[in-house]
Amino acid sequence: MQNWLVRLKGLRRYPTLVAGLLFITFFIGLSIYAVTAIPYDEAIRLWRGGPGVWEDTPRNAGPVWFDFFTEGRTPRTIVIRSGDTGTITEEAVGDGMKLAEIVLPFQYDYDGFPAELRLYSEAQYQGSREPATVSWQTPDGRTIILQEDRKLKTVDTYYISQDQELRMQLSGMAPQKGLFVSPDDTENLLKGDYQLVLTTQVPETAELEAKLVVYGQLYGLAGTDHRGRDLMIALLWGAPIGLMFGVLAAVGAEISTFVLAAIGTWLGGKVDRLFQWLTQVNLVIPLLPLLILVGHFYSRSIWTMLGMVIALNIFSATYLTFRAMFLQAKEAPYIEAAQAYGVGNFRMIFRYLMPRIAPTLLPQFVLIIPLFVFLEATLAVLGLGDPTLPTWGKVIYDAVDEGALYNGHYYWLVEPAVLLMLMGVGFALIGYSLDRVFNPRLRTL
Amino acid sequence: MSPTVREIIARLGKFTLIRAVLLFLAIIVAVYLTVIIANLGGQLDEIRKSQIRYEIGQRAFGNPAFRDMAPEAVAEMLNELAETEFHRLGMDRPFFPMRSFEYLWRALSLELGRAERLSSDAGSRQVRNILMERLPVTLALFGTSNLVLFFLALFAALFLSRRYGGFLDKLTIALAPSSAAPGWFYGLFLILIFGAVLRILPWGGLVDAPIPDTRLTYALSVLKHMVLPVVAIVLGALFAEIYSWRTFFLIYSSEDYVELARAKGLSSRGIDMRYVLRPVLPPILTSFLLVLITMWMGQIVLETVFHWPGLGSVFYEATQANDTPVILGVIVIYGYLLAATVFVLDFIYAIVDPRVRVGGGAVRQ
Amino acid sequence: MMRKLNQKPKPIADATAAGPEKASGPLLKVEDVVLYFTATQGVVRAVEGVSFELAHGQSLAIVGESGCGKTSLARAILRLLPRNVATYEGRIFLNGTDIMKFSDERFRRDVRWVKISMVSQAAMNSLNPVIKLGQQVAEPLLLDNRTDKKEAFERARQVFRIVGIPLAFLDRYAFELSGGMRQRAIIAMALIANPILVILDEPTSALDVLTQANIMNALKKIKQELRLNFIFITHDIATSSELADEVICMYAGQLVEHSTADRFYRDPLHPYAQKLMASVPTLRVYKKPEFITGQPPSLLNPPEGCRFADRCTKRFERCREEPPLFVHGDGTVKCWLYERG
Repeated sequence: MQNWLVRLKGLRRYPTLVAGLLFITFFIGLSIYAVTAIPYDEAIRLWRGGPGVWEDTPRNAGPVWFDFFTEGRTPRTIVIRSGDTGTITEEAVGDGMKLAEIVLPFQYDYDGFPAELRLYSEAQYQGSREPATVSWQTPDGRTIILQEDRKLKTVDTYYISQDQELRMQLSGMAPQKGLFVSPDDTENLLKGDYQLVLTTQVPETAELEAKLVVYGQLYGLAGTDHRGRDLMIALLWGAPIGLMFGVLAAVGAEISTFVLAAIGTWLGGKVDRLFQWLTQVNLVIPLLPLLILVGHFYSRSIWTMLGMVIALNIFSATYLTFRAMFLQAKEAPYIEAAQAYGVGNFRMIFRYLMPRIAPTLLPQFVLIIPLFVFLEATLAVLGLGDPTLPTWGKVIYDAVDEGALYNGHYYWLVEPAVLLMLMGVGFALIGYSLDRVFNPRLRTL
Repeated sequence: MSPTVREIIARLGKFTLIRAVLLFLAIIVAVYLTVIIANLGGQLDEIRKSQIRYEIGQRAFGNPAFRDMAPEAVAEMLNELAETEFHRLGMDRPFFPMRSFEYLWRALSLELGRAERLSSDAGSRQVRNILMERLPVTLALFGTSNLVLFFLALFAALFLSRRYGGFLDKLTIALAPSSAAPGWFYGLFLILIFGAVLRILPWGGLVDAPIPDTRLTYALSVLKHMVLPVVAIVLGALFAEIYSWRTFFLIYSSEDYVELARAKGLSSRGIDMRYVLRPVLPPILTSFLLVLITMWMGQIVLETVFHWPGLGSVFYEATQANDTPVILGVIVIYGYLLAATVFVLDFIYAIVDPRVRVGGGAVRQ
Repeated sequence: MMRKLNQKPKPIADATAAGPEKASGPLLKVEDVVLYFTATQGVVRAVEGVSFELAHGQSLAIVGESGCGKTSLARAILRLLPRNVATYEGRIFLNGTDIMKFSDERFRRDVRWVKISMVSQAAMNSLNPVIKLGQQVAEPLLLDNRTDKKEAFERARQVFRIVGIPLAFLDRYAFELSGGMRQRAIIAMALIANPILVILDEPTSALDVLTQANIMNALKKIKQELRLNFIFITHDIATSSELADEVICMYAGQLVEHSTADRFYRDPLHPYAQKLMASVPTLRVYKKPEFITGQPPSLLNPPEGCRFADRCTKRFERCREEPPLFVHGDGTVKCWLYERG
């Protein structure tokens, strides 16, 4: 062991090792941050969605630092809530009804048009609905009626920007543009104070709320996906999930192979041949297709996948590498001496052979981690990832599925890909440096 | 034939036969495992039953006697016929062990019946035809890219081993971790750069649309479409292989017998060929085998990303379309392909390394 | 470019003794050969200005402890330089021609193996594992169109007979042979091109005593019958005494004594050589083996003056300066004690 410690000190000479360690430390840090800043339940909630979860974020928005490259200020999302910056005025009109007017003002001084406009409302009451009027007021004093007799549901979403009639009303311009320009100058955005007014008649006991969301084009540090989910959630959480899967799978696979190699090599003869044949069988069993089969038929849970991966890697290909090392170690005189003074098989394998070769396990183990990290990503990219978990592979899957490359949303694909790459490369750098230190064959060079 | 040549062929033949048998056993185990997993929830039985119902329905449709019967009566009778058939085929017997072996046999011979939703380009719904149509397409891509990878890595490694410590050597060491990412990963970026941004190479697919009419233009079109996938596959493994093989070359060039060969007056080329390359081939082949196995796995995603109509993408389509017979079929073919790869490499190994031939038993390093 | 050996493979007895080779002048004359290597800590001065002559028909033993530079000297003569060579200088005259001046290609073609061949240490790994024995042994004759296949293999059979390996083994692979057989095969390989000088580097140190004895007998027979010249490198004084006519003793990269075998084994000149002989156990005379205290100096930073001075019991003032090589009787010695000849 002393020998190895001396070698480890010499590792400082390897810049690749230092670089690799930096990468991995970064990811460990990221994982810790992810788990603490956005606790698991919160992450799942944000990722899975549900009523109202994805309302406030724009869809397919780029990250905010894109602004750095463009002139002017790219629009961000503005949310105006009736209970907040908006106002409600109510007026009793007899018959147990009241006239409610919700005014949602905002200031718009960005240099681009919003991506979308939506009005969310909640009208809590029984009975028939009276028609509501939605109107729009521009900074230059014009009022545009968006809808005159909208029947508000209890929970209602008015997709202003998809309103075809409104579009025709605006001479064919999409509402998110048409509502923001003056009729005489349809090219330039009109900046200033805007207002959306919602008026309706409701019973006096009714509770009325409304929210106008003016969706921007950029959001967050990483942008959003097609559902409006903040990609940072997946980018952050992808780190601990990837790390966990990669490390656990590598541990399970390598340690089992290591132990079996020791046993097989020591016992020799039929056992050795049997184990070697089993390794061949393992080689022939197509891992990924079987995982896909299981994912397809039974469960896509990440634990099932992990279990299967380890199970199908007990006799992994590294068996042969370990076997070669154990064969050499077996010839050592101290092993012969130990046999002479009566050491039993079990002890021999676990106390003599394995500790001697164990250091060489380390580089193998580290080098194989990226394989499993990418395996998990591969499963996700094929649409068989764990459906509940936000992982990098899932983001890539969504990106490819939704045609990110066709639509120019390159960031959607590039961000998780780069992170995957860095993690893989980080481990590979460490693994290769360790290999140079611990691999007995390389020492003679 | 001189006795020694006859001897060699006999030994080689015996060796090959043993290996083939062992590998076939391995395939059997692999496919059996698949069958068991696939039928854990009774899915295979379900498929078989629905296929039988379909056949019975087809026969009934052609029989005029049934046309006059009321629909409910027809349905009831079909059901009865189906049940009888199930009983006749022994489908109400337990799965283990006999029926599982039956499925095993059908799987091994690729008698998987009709696909549920997919069909081949030629219109056939037979699983076997679908798969056989896709097989050569996959082999073309796989074969080409791996041949390129092998020879490129081999000569680069040999070249580098003479420049130990030089700049190119250090560069290779730095680039080696790039193989942590699989081929499809690079494929995505290649499509992004060359397809979307630069627009000089196609995004995917096998040939241009509309399909070229002459043989030559067709072949050229296929070649054009093969460029990006081949580059992706090669990138995914190249630098790690070069690094690892160059290390082998270094180790093997510092062997005592190489030094003696120099003392004997052999030229460097002679030494390279006979004293370095031949002894180093066994571990290189073993290492390459592992790369090939990994490649087969990655083929699925790679073909999907590039819309290359091979086995990999049909596998993906089958999972998307929930087409179980095709899924099973691809797994079985994969088993055969993997075993064939192992076999071919073992064979080359035996030719190259006399210790295996003469001494008996694999002496893998 | 048919260039045969200057003699067609002759019947064994005539092999090298006759012919213009036995000219006047020494077979081998080594003059001020220097060989340095670069290591991470600095420059290792492995061979420091060694000079000696070897006459025709004489065999030479080079003795010294591990790390004294004897193997490096052999490498220097055969120009088998490692990757990290720093300095390689001097003159080496083979039958009067300075082979140091040859280009690498000429050296490879005209000197290696055909004039000087080598039997290396640790024959275990000196044979190519994937090529048949016969092919490897015959290989030097097949290079550069020196001779045709039929003759080459006939010659291979000849040398196998000389060293005593059954001819069936020509078709076998290296791993099928025992240690002793492999060593013989290596010796056979060294003889095949009819060299005038064979350098043997520790030919028997990896073998058991019985096999050692067998090999030594075979070498003696070869020496007699073929009248080859040997240079024998060893740290084993006892075995070298059987074959050597002259002895060179090396210490810390330098040649410290060159005497006839008779003289060296009985009564060596240099204090180090004396200590060396004193450490060898004798069979018939009762003697307690002696040893030398201390360690040989590092070749990275050799001391000024005589390199043995630190451990020498006979040192005196003069030893602070490096002694030149003095002639003394039949030999030479690098020691101030012999200043007056």
